[in-house]
Amino acid sequence: MYIGVDVGGTFTDIAVNPGDGRELYLHKLPSTPDAPEKAVIDGLREILVENSLEAGQIRRLAHGTTVGTNALIQRKCGKVALITSEGFRDLLELARQTRPTVYDMHRDHPEPLVPRNLRIEVPQRRLADGTVHVPLASNAVADAAACIAEAGVDCVVVCFLHSYAFPEDEDRAAEILRANLPDSTVVLTSSSVYPEFREYERFSTAVLNAALITVLGSYLDRLMQATADMGIPAEIKISQSSGGLMSVRMAKKLPVRASLSGPAAGVQGALYRAAVAGIDNIITLDMGGTSADVALLENGVPVEVVARDLAGFPIRIPSFDVNAVGAGGGSIAWIDSDGLFKVGPRSAGAVPGPVCYNQGGTEPTVTDANVMLGRLNGSTLLGGRMPIRHDLSVEAIARLAGCLNMAPEDTALGIVQVACATMVKAIRSISVERGYAPSEFSLFVFGGAGALHAVDVARELGMGRIVVPPSPGILCAEGAMNAPLSIEFVATLLVPVSPEATGALARAISELDAKVSNWFASESVPRPQQKTTWTVAARYLRQNYELTLPIDIAASGGSLLEGIDSSFHNAHERNYGFCSPGEPVQLVNLSVKALGELPRPDLPVLPGSPRPDPGWHRDTLFWRGDSRMTPVYDRAELVAGQAISGPAIIEQMDATVLVFPGDECVVDNWGNIIVTLGATGA
Amino acid sequence: MTTTPIETELLRNSLAGICDEMYIALMKSSYSTNIKERRDHSTALFDASGRVVVQGESMPLHLASMLGLVEVVLEKYGRDGLKDGDMFLSNDPYVGRGSHLPDVAIAAPVFKDGELAMFACNIAHHADIGGMSPGSMAGGMTEIFQEGLRIPPIRLFDGGTFSRDVMDLILLNVRVPEERLGDYNAQIAANRLALRRCDALLDRWGTDRVSDACDTIISAVARRTRACISRLRDGTYEFEDVVDDDGLSSRNIRIRVRITVAGDEIEFDFEGTDPQVEGNINVTTAGLQAACLYCLKVLLDPDCPQNHGMLDPVTIKAPLGSIVNAAFPAASAARAQTGQRIVDVVLGALAPAYPDKVVAAGNGANTSATFFGQDGDGTFYVYLETLGGGAGARYYRDGSDGVQVHMTNTSNLPIEALETEYPLMIERYQFVEDSGGSGRYRGGLGIRRDYRPIGHATTFSGQGERFANPPWGLFGGGPAATGRFATISDDGIEMRLANKPSSLRIAPDTVISVITAGGGGFGNPDERSVSELEKDFALGKFSDRFLTGNYPQWRCRLRDAQNSTKKDT
Repeated sequence: MYIGVDVGGTFTDIAVNPGDGRELYLHKLPSTPDAPEKAVIDGLREILVENSLEAGQIRRLAHGTTVGTNALIQRKCGKVALITSEGFRDLLELARQTRPTVYDMHRDHPEPLVPRNLRIEVPQRRLADGTVHVPLASNAVADAAACIAEAGVDCVVVCFLHSYAFPEDEDRAAEILRANLPDSTVVLTSSSVYPEFREYERFSTAVLNAALITVLGSYLDRLMQATADMGIPAEIKISQSSGGLMSVRMAKKLPVRASLSGPAAGVQGALYRAAVAGIDNIITLDMGGTSADVALLENGVPVEVVARDLAGFPIRIPSFDVNAVGAGGGSIAWIDSDGLFKVGPRSAGAVPGPVCYNQGGTEPTVTDANVMLGRLNGSTLLGGRMPIRHDLSVEAIARLAGCLNMAPEDTALGIVQVACATMVKAIRSISVERGYAPSEFSLFVFGGAGALHAVDVARELGMGRIVVPPSPGILCAEGAMNAPLSIEFVATLLVPVSPEATGALARAISELDAKVSNWFASESVPRPQQKTTWTVAARYLRQNYELTLPIDIAASGGSLLEGIDSSFHNAHERNYGFCSPGEPVQLVNLSVKALGELPRPDLPVLPGSPRPDPGWHRDTLFWRGDSRMTPVYDRAELVAGQAISGPAIIEQMDATVLVFPGDECVVDNWGNIIVTLGATGA
Repeated sequence: MTTTPIETELLRNSLAGICDEMYIALMKSSYSTNIKERRDHSTALFDASGRVVVQGESMPLHLASMLGLVEVVLEKYGRDGLKDGDMFLSNDPYVGRGSHLPDVAIAAPVFKDGELAMFACNIAHHADIGGMSPGSMAGGMTEIFQEGLRIPPIRLFDGGTFSRDVMDLILLNVRVPEERLGDYNAQIAANRLALRRCDALLDRWGTDRVSDACDTIISAVARRTRACISRLRDGTYEFEDVVDDDGLSSRNIRIRVRITVAGDEIEFDFEGTDPQVEGNINVTTAGLQAACLYCLKVLLDPDCPQNHGMLDPVTIKAPLGSIVNAAFPAASAARAQTGQRIVDVVLGALAPAYPDKVVAAGNGANTSATFFGQDGDGTFYVYLETLGGGAGARYYRDGSDGVQVHMTNTSNLPIEALETEYPLMIERYQFVEDSGGSGRYRGGLGIRRDYRPIGHATTFSGQGERFANPPWGLFGGGPAATGRFATISDDGIEMRLANKPSSLRIAPDTVISVITAGGGGFGNPDERSVSELEKDFALGKFSDRFLTGNYPQWRCRLRDAQNSTKKDT
């Protein structure tokens, strides 16, 4: 039995696959932010009891959590001290010396996580080529340890310039600190967290990691104790921002890697579902109440990035490139001070929620527009748990329509169109703007509101196919359950692509290869389950942004470099519309991603009969002036191979699928709904 | 034809998307530090009559250059003189409506079915545009001819054919031409991208509908700006301040403004401002307009989209030949220094009307340091960077420490990148303690950054402001500390340099120290809480001496503490 758990800010989702290929069990319950493990344990107990499952049968418990992110936002994280070179204690606070926005004099960056009096300078300085300019003063480090011990911090981070290439001084200082501090104080170095050049981002990543160590560590200790008490024999695995899982041991050391795991787990879920269904190229759209996340997967592999932002601070961690925009079911339609019409980014959220929830909301939302258009159920949602007031949606939209001097139905359609345009723009920026044609991808939609808007979004982008997984609302938990173990290592190169680079590249490859082998050994990944992918980040010499290119390290030095050179020029042409063959190309760093495939349960297969009829019909508006009586199906009753022609609506507890007239959909063996768009959209 | 509000929003969203896409492509593929790291570039789309409709994220100083650029192209060539496939290049402040020569603008008309429909344009600050000084920004130049290559609006592409001749001429006149070519390529590619995207947009919506939406988007901004101005209290507001010097002959150059708010219109009158100067800090029309519009936007409506509509309710008057409206052939490379001071005087004038929105004077400067020399292997390098300082305190909060203020918001270059690419070393990068003005809310701290040319002599040019006249506080807040340039020898002897040194020869391994000004305080210092002062002290941002000298309650706190201890016992 395999279990995936996703702890979000509002809900804790649990997915259980008993492994017999028949059925998934799903559970959703409110999160308990003060003690997040409580909802996890309660939910596990409930789902096991309800389905007569044995805790002792659990082979894996995979866990995605935002515990760390929430702690940072609320500043309830560990107390951190920092050791750095003389003259640089303010670097962490100076950051990039910019304001968050040019035109807002009243917005500031968040206060640094390490206050100035806990940023301690010691004599030490190396230059870019490793030359010792000022030797590390051991006695100063020991003195600093005394101050730190007195201040009672949870974690100390050592941050020296050029440590990405020359970590020796950081390592030495850390040793001295460890020898002089109680065992309860964790000592970290910036190069051990993410050894990449650009000091501020490296230091910031290390500091965030340090601030999370005690928070995530104590949470995981409590959770492990509780699951052990329940008799769960499996070790917990933790989701990372790059989709894969890590051991608890690793998570306690590098908690920052878990910080953006929520959206990544969804992408991981989509990745697995699409692979099983035999679909290679997908763009994911996860639309919830307040925002929509989009990501692109080419040949089943998500695009990854390293630069991210966490609670207002930059971090460098490998992560799926998930682009978020403020368009969700709760996004509010409003008229700006210039009289122009807008939808979002402000959201009615869960409270008061859309007007139709009748919980005090008065401003019309995207959900209200869908209710008015008959696209969403006008009497209840969430499987009957949420009563809906169709009349309130209509009233609210009529008020807005009056201000716009438009017909109410046109206004409702317009709200949906503008929300979709925001998502289209987000998808364009990860596809068209990077040289990918959306028409070569399927739109994989999940989240509560995704399936409702999929057709509008796909058609606008010229995409021909939409995939809706069986449980769109719980895909993150499912994604965690089915993810492999993974880790990334990086080495900074900063060498030109030229024959002299061969040695440096070979050295970096063998250095990272050794790290990967150690990791496979420490995580007990057997050889057949081991997989590695290598990439380099390259740029024209003196550019500042890199393009990431896959490389085959089996190739010999010379041809490896030639291959990098030509694929760089091509990638530059594709991304920016020009390239300069003949210009020197610089290798900035080498990265490797190692995967340890874990045994995965088969996804349940749907039965092939009997075929249900639609339960009922409702009047639904698809285009301006084109309203039709539309059959409404219950998704739980659909069977494998069932084909439905649009117009149709398919409802389930946490999502509604809208199939337009002229479009066709079919249910595949695994319960995915595959919508094929008609040529004209009519 | 009229577009519905929904269609207008969909079109606006698409147009903004095109601008953003150009902006990012240009930033990521360029070579000049100014563009790739400091984001000193802008992108915009214009309607067929040459009005800015949408502008991407951008530098405030580029806004006005954008406003005038296409107008100038249209004046020179006329609508009928433009062809599909043309691209125009320009940088001159006097004939091209630019603001200084390193900002090179490239504009492309967009044609649909043979008709002129729109323009796409971008501006980027090149690391060098020729002239007598590396980086084209150094002080000491007295007329625009010395500052670099002047380019009037001319064709770089003629009906789709690239003018190799024009590019060859430009590249021969600039330093490190291979890198510059990369930047021109990036700018051209960004415009081509916009042309493709606009073509698809026009295909889909039709030229008439797009043009109609452009009108609506511009008039919405005009309406929005008017609504904001009408919330200002009617009246006349005056202020004056000075620029430290022009690096040559003039000191304490006065800028005076008289602002009249009447209903939903506003007038800025700079009568009484000193004449233009010999040094290169003169502001031309475009720069003045940009500074005034910046102030309006930050005070009234930071989220307001930028386009031609902003100008509608605004009148700007300044004597021609003054430092804020310089006449040919005044030198203007470092116009950002004066631009920052224009912002200070406008905000200072409006302080009584808007106490909760204005800020005290901050590091009103675009402090820059340029190094020019030869690498160990003999290759020439030019390295320019700009430093932030303290921000002015606000009505309800301290000013930020060590940030760029107002018209500039450029990022630093990571030390590890700088030291890898250039034979320079950063010895220290830190706050300047005690540099923020006192007040109920204190001003931000200035920055100190020390550079060591490793094992070679380098040429240093710098632009410093707020080095003589401190940034002022508001409503009783104290002034900040001023900045300075200095050299420091190995035995620790500091020698102060001029505020705008030009091409100084610096001996190998002599440290150059750049210190910027802090920000002024806000409100009476007596009202600052002791716990805030204790925090200032504990963090080491202010010394006991400074606190004792500026805050009476700091002195009293020990006595109070003793008294309360006595009471307790």
